Amino acid sequence: MSYNNYDSGYSNTSYGGGGGGGGGFDPNGSQNSPSGGKREFQQDSMRAVTIKQILEAEPSGNSFNIDGSSITNLTFVGQIRNISSQKTFTTYKLDDGTGSIEVKKWIDSNAAEEVDPVKSRLVEGSYCRAWGKLNSFGDKRHVGVHNIRPVEDMNEVSYHLLEATVVHLHFTRGPPGGAAGAGGAAPQQQNQQLDTSDNYGAANLSGYSSVAKRVFQYMQDAPQTNEGLHQQDIAAKLGVDTADVARAGDDLLSGGLIYTTVDDQTWAILEAE
Amino acid sequence: MSEPQTPRILAPHLQSFQHRLVRMLGKVVQLRGDRAIIDAGGNVDVILNRDSHLAVGHAVEIIGKVDGNLHVKVVAATDFGTEIDFNAANAVVEATHRHKEIFYED
Repeated sequence: MSYNNYDSGYSNTSYGGGGGGGGGFDPNGSQNSPSGGKREFQQDSMRAVTIKQILEAEPSGNSFNIDGSSITNLTFVGQIRNISSQKTFTTYKLDDGTGSIEVKKWIDSNAAEEVDPVKSRLVEGSYCRAWGKLNSFGDKRHVGVHNIRPVEDMNEVSYHLLEATVVHLHFTRGPPGGAAGAGGAAPQQQNQQLDTSDNYGAANLSGYSSVAKRVFQYMQDAPQTNEGLHQQDIAAKLGVDTADVARAGDDLLSGGLIYTTVDDQTWAILEAE
Repeated sequence: MSEPQTPRILAPHLQSFQHRLVRMLGKVVQLRGDRAIIDAGGNVDVILNRDSHLAVGHAVEIIGKVDGNLHVKVVAATDFGTEIDFNAANAVVEATHRHKEIFYED
């Protein structure tokens, strides 16, 4: 197994001796806050996992599957059990209570002589978060990490384990409430089940104005092309002032329920799947 | 792999984890020689080792073995500071037992 399909998603890694990174990846790209809310659940996603999940990931061609879904980048939190430094990389053994795995961090040859302030805080017994890709060599697995840093706020340990659970449940049971939108945060979506008074398909319109609800309802029902509907048509059909429709549209746009198509005034419903 | 699993538990689970290695996050209530009491969903008697450095009022994560008297004999203790959200930590324990498939064997 080689390291040559590493992307350089983190600006501070150059993989000097590591066989080169895939070029052209924007270091400020979408992967630089993997612990944040946005997960794409597709190619090049960043998935929060437990070490047990990594150890049990099923090989599938050149990659691995967890919960039947292909994994690329992983992030996890663990306690450092052992550190061994080689010339070109450092191996950390991480333990999160569910298992342990070795992670390898290539040493940036350009910065080799300097004392790395992050690295000096990665000591045995301390918790850290790692981001990387799973590799297997023979039957032994390790994670080649782009980045590893100490955990500053110990609540991150709880946070990570809960996030890994949410993602696992997402893949095995679908989104919370079986409802729209993979992108939404779980706690908000749970409210949907309580809101039984209005049925707008899968979308949760509680909290939107009555005009917004009518606009959305109309957009769902009205025949249209994939360009959607113009706000003036909607206003005319509903007999509502265009400015009110525009405002309702802004709310629905920012809520991610509709999107603009040919211009800012033409909207279509954002389908959940 | 070589590190044994350490299921996360709270005081009420001690009974079912006798003679097993566990992981507990609790707040240090009392320190007395080589003994301590931590609050992890209930008070737990902890038997310290030489390397444990606990501070009263701090959260501590203990890896230890549950003995027949439901005391926990410390193998390793990690200070978790004073900012721990125990509601979240206890929710983690609940999640790890409910969705065991991604956390622990058996």
